Amino acid sequence: MTMRILTAVLRTIRNSRRLAIGLLILGVMVLLALFSPLIVNAIGGGKDPIEVAAYEKWLVPGPGHLLGTDQFGRDVFAMVVKALSVSLQIGAIAGIISTVVGVIVAFVAGYKGGWIDGILSTFTGILLVIPTFPLLIALSAYAKNVTLFQVGVMISIFAWPFAAKTIRSQVLSLRTRPYVDLARVSKARDLEIIVTELLPNLLPFIGVGFASSALGAIFGLVGLEVIGLGPGGVVDLGQIIFNAITTGALTLGAWPMFVVPIVLLTLLFAALNMVNIGLEEVYNPRLRGVAGE
Amino acid sequence: MKSELELRGVQQRFHARGVADGYITAVDDVSFSLAASPPQIVSLVGQSGSGKSTIARNVLGLQKPTAGSVLYGGKDIFKLNRAEYDEYRRDVQPVFQDPYAIFNPFYRVDRVLWKAVKKFKLASTREAGLTLIEESLRAVRLEPENVLGRYPHQLSGGQRQRIMLARVHMLRPSFIIADEPVSMLDAQVRKHFLDILLDFQTEHGMTTLFITHDLSTVYYLGGEVMVITKGQIVERGPVSTVMHEPSHPYTKLLLDSIPQPDPDQRWTSRIAVDELDDLEETDAQAAPAPEAPIL
Ligand SMILES: Nc1ncnc2c1ncn2[C@@H]1O[C@H](COP(=O)(O)OP(=O)(O)OP(=O)(O)O)[C@@H](O)[C@H]1O
Ligand SMILES: [Mg+2]
Repeated sequence: MTMRILTAVLRTIRNSRRLAIGLLILGVMVLLALFSPLIVNAIGGGKDPIEVAAYEKWLVPGPGHLLGTDQFGRDVFAMVVKALSVSLQIGAIAGIISTVVGVIVAFVAGYKGGWIDGILSTFTGILLVIPTFPLLIALSAYAKNVTLFQVGVMISIFAWPFAAKTIRSQVLSLRTRPYVDLARVSKARDLEIIVTELLPNLLPFIGVGFASSALGAIFGLVGLEVIGLGPGGVVDLGQIIFNAITTGALTLGAWPMFVVPIVLLTLLFAALNMVNIGLEEVYNPRLRGVAGE
Repeated sequence: MKSELELRGVQQRFHARGVADGYITAVDDVSFSLAASPPQIVSLVGQSGSGKSTIARNVLGLQKPTAGSVLYGGKDIFKLNRAEYDEYRRDVQPVFQDPYAIFNPFYRVDRVLWKAVKKFKLASTREAGLTLIEESLRAVRLEPENVLGRYPHQLSGGQRQRIMLARVHMLRPSFIIADEPVSMLDAQVRKHFLDILLDFQTEHGMTTLFITHDLSTVYYLGGEVMVITKGQIVERGPVSTVMHEPSHPYTKLLLDSIPQPDPDQRWTSRIAVDELDDLEETDAQAAPAPEAPIL
């Protein structure tokens, strides 16, 4: 079964160049994030390069500091690498939470149908039309000193309905397949049918759900940081941009502080969207086949 | 094994939009029974939309009828206890219409057979299971090495449908519910399939409810036939009797609509849907007027 999923995933990737490129960019970024402690260490050469007053303020980009230093004398390159890993973390946290919640709700609603579906769908529908960002601002303003994880959870509250909605409609279409009937006359239980008959065929949609929630979360956090309401104690890409704006870094020749995070965010956005589009491209026209060539 | 499967006043309604009262009646007060012995083949014929598949789903316990009951061994199949349910499941098995959609594209075809082995505890070891699977595949004239380990899309429709028959062969149910099992197969494969079903009847004592809209397969299988139209069974009898002396106007119409293989006897009379509707009207007129108050 695991092997089967792996080969299915590989085949999917082979079928779409967009998906492959998106995953490649993501992969490089994840690697960069994973090695960020090492990279930061190497830059610091023994001391912490993102400590306040580690170096002189506003150094221009050069051999010593590839991207210069900021208003507190911190190395911008080291900051960016660290911030990238924070941004990816928030994406992963919110992506996983919303996908798991979304998938569970979607399966229960889609498979059980009836009044359960009615209640869950109404609830999902309400969350879908609530203007997310203002509420998020209100929540963050109210809850001072939130941790990164808490922000992730907060963002997930608003992100899961999107995943639930797409997956539910797929469950509805798959649950009337003859192979589900065959499983039922073979004494398979509901949960078994969901996990072994439906879930594997829904992997691409779950992937789409994950990628969109992660994207939403990363940009949600950037949005919060840009207006100065992010979680305390961590620096994400949005916060570097926020600093660049408030200190007028661009006029001081410290353009990398503004440009590099934006470039990274753009790349991230492009990569996740390529994954999204790639998956839909491969599966939407003919839902039939993870295995169906 | 329980010896009888019986439908008693089964009615199945579905909610539908754009219909006068908000629902359609797919199966309307249907009662019939199937006996396990002597093993028999009972065909259920009717045009598209007459409610055949819905009856199959009711009998298989996939759809709970809105009224009436399906009895297995005298008990309502939706009220069986654990042991009775297990027996019913083992004893009443389907062959479905679409040999493509019946397999989950995600898995190799073997899985369907192994599932049967495991769920119904047909064998205690892997070797015994494999022996059983190979034996059943040969019984439906499939070479195990040609089908095992393949994915559904790598097999032909006929092969896939015979794998479903192999599954039935392993389970040896008393009742096979076959919903248009050959409608997607070509003529030669079709005959092959029907022969296997007849074998199952004579060799393994299986009773088949054979659902079809094709009278030539009904002829070929023999046994009994039930005619269904608009959710109601209007006629039941031995194939030869019903075919030669149809008693219901709908059966006559159905018989008239068979294309003749004889070139001199061209198939001239087209049976169109409106003709069926005409029939419906005359039918309504012929029917006794609803309870007039007797003074
Ligand atoms: N799940 C359902 N929901 C709503 N209506 C349904 C459902 N299943 C069947 N019907 C309706 O019930 C009627 C009978 O359908 P059924 O599938 O039993 O016909 P059939 O005789 O098997 O036709 P065919 O020969 O085309 O397979 C049709 O009008 C169909 O639209
Ligand atoms: Mg049908």
